[in-house]
Amino acid sequence: MINKPKLLTVFDILTALTLLGALALILFWTPVEITMGPVQKVFYFHVSAAWAGMLAFVAAGAAGAGYLITRKLHWDWVSLSAVEVGLVFGLIAILSGMIWAQPIWNTWWVWEPRLTTTAIMELIYLAYFILRSSLETPEKRARLSAVFAIISVITVPLTFFSIRLFRTIHPVVIAPGGGDSAFSMTPCMLRAFLISLGVFTILLVDLFWHRYRLAKLNYKNQTGEN
Amino acid sequence: MSERFPSEPFSIEISNLVKHYHHQNVLDHLQLTIKRGDLCVLVGDNGAGKTTLLRILASLIRPDQGEIRLINNTENENSSYRGKIGYLGHQSMFYNDLTAAENLRHYAELYQIPNAQEAAEASIQSVELTGFKDNLVRTFSRGMQQRLSIARALLHHPSILLFDEPYTGLDQKAANFLDAQLRNLHQPDKIILVAAHRPQRMLSFATHIAWLQKGKISHHIPIDQISDFPDLEDYLRGTV
Amino acid sequence: MNPFNRYLKTIWQIFKKDIRVEWRGRQGIPVMLVFALLIVFLFNFALQLSPDLQAELAAGLLWVALAFASTLGLNRSIASERENNALDGLLLAPVDRSAIFFGKSLSNFVFTFLVALILLPVFSVFYNQNMLNLRLIFIILLGLGSYTSLGTLLAVLSIQTRARDVLLPVLLFPLALPILIAAVESSRLVLGSHPVSDYQSWLFLLIAGNILFIGVGLLFFETILEE
Repeated sequence: MINKPKLLTVFDILTALTLLGALALILFWTPVEITMGPVQKVFYFHVSAAWAGMLAFVAAGAAGAGYLITRKLHWDWVSLSAVEVGLVFGLIAILSGMIWAQPIWNTWWVWEPRLTTTAIMELIYLAYFILRSSLETPEKRARLSAVFAIISVITVPLTFFSIRLFRTIHPVVIAPGGGDSAFSMTPCMLRAFLISLGVFTILLVDLFWHRYRLAKLNYKNQTGEN
Repeated sequence: MSERFPSEPFSIEISNLVKHYHHQNVLDHLQLTIKRGDLCVLVGDNGAGKTTLLRILASLIRPDQGEIRLINNTENENSSYRGKIGYLGHQSMFYNDLTAAENLRHYAELYQIPNAQEAAEASIQSVELTGFKDNLVRTFSRGMQQRLSIARALLHHPSILLFDEPYTGLDQKAANFLDAQLRNLHQPDKIILVAAHRPQRMLSFATHIAWLQKGKISHHIPIDQISDFPDLEDYLRGTV
Repeated sequence: MNPFNRYLKTIWQIFKKDIRVEWRGRQGIPVMLVFALLIVFLFNFALQLSPDLQAELAAGLLWVALAFASTLGLNRSIASERENNALDGLLLAPVDRSAIFFGKSLSNFVFTFLVALILLPVFSVFYNQNMLNLRLIFIILLGLGSYTSLGTLLAVLSIQTRARDVLLPVLLFPLALPILIAAVESSRLVLGSHPVSDYQSWLFLLIAGNILFIGVGLLFFETILEE
């Protein structure tokens, strides 16, 4: 258990290579968008990070259900790891969104539905960590966190819908053209975009795997098992 | 719940009970069967899991494994498992802003007892608190609260009584009153399990003793056989 | 008694008990009310509202005041069950445990709704527009219905933690955000005398919120309470 599995090392290398590949692809082989200029290239990783974050949160909710059904603590480690990795991806999505927003809309922050929903999701999952930190018994922590993770993931669509509805009623001066639909993608851009999505999914799985191992080791350390 | 050989008396059978907290098994495949008419004292060190066991039996805690079965329960068969349990915990479970009568009336309604008001008053009378029935519970002393708690636990005439450390915090008079109550309740159709880390005063009227150690019941014997088990005798001497 | 009547009777009994406790202790409604009024004053000065802005923002302020104030009521309501461990008494009773959730939600809902009803004339005076509007009251019913059912569940959850009641707003606000947005927007449109078609999507969202959060409460209440 203490030894890192070989497969994980292989996976690490694969992740690093594909990430570098995707970066090179975006930097050197995609066209520069006419109106936005080079900063548009942030978009590939921005949307991919948001996608990975969302995927992680859904996985956390599913793992929460897994815990409540089976009452096996490893589902709690899955849920915790997914939330933690998801938070990082959410943060990447928000920061890259801000980098994009600054030159395009001349402001660091726009109350655009996707960006706002991501920010609220970050707050929900920060609350998840506060909840965890105020519970000591592993079983109770697992049970209550699982409930919270499930409720969180089912309210996300409602939040997204409400913010989108809010936006359509209040047109803003600096119209956020709605992220990815703001410009039309050439086939080359689309290909790079899909590759980024795939690469970020691989990165998500890799980071999640590491975090899960950490959770498991931490548990074994506390219980004094080997 | 299951029905078995009709010749067996009504009993509660606990098998393979496991509950763990903080990576440790508080209860570790615990087995115990208590029969109708038994008044069993549950002894064990603080933290041995007596409260956990009683709370599982009262269905307040969900066990990780194992089951609890009622055998040949012929009396009030249509009432649910929880309806058969009378549980007295560490805390009184009363609302401080309600009077004694209002609190008991509330519980009588929850247990669907017909004529809730009369039932509540009768049970207050049974613990000799009639003079205080319209006082707020927050004004009650620990002893009075404990008496009222007993009234609450017995309100619906349960056939299985679970008392967790009922003597804690009682003065001599209140403790004597509790002795008398327990002797009274000890009837052939009832199962009584009392957890006590200082069981001395109960040894004169209990029928059985069960010793909870390391998550298991190490001894479960009639009270008059204590002298056959020197380790248990030693342990009891240490609890004085 | 058939099971359904029994279920309703249990809800009613818990509700009745909560009213009695509230009447004796007066620790819920008055505290919520005073707190809500304080928020109104605080916002007035913090935001330096001009009269025409006030009218526009009245709906938003009403909901901010209700959202904050109700966390006090929710915490109080669950704390009364924790005192002396009365919650165990409820769990011991041979009743379906989801009825306990409904009973507590009902009393939280009714108490918060009463606070809202008292706030409406006050807001009407302060913000110089008639807020005693049946459509607005209907929206408050829908909004508070889902808000207090989610709030009741999360209050029971947070009282199990070391942080106790401090945790409730942190857990509740981000999850209740869609409900609050829908409530604010529909209230604002109602007060602006907009036709129903302008805010019916918000009403649907509020109804969806009620179904979702009552369902979530039914599903998880027992899971949260079991040890």
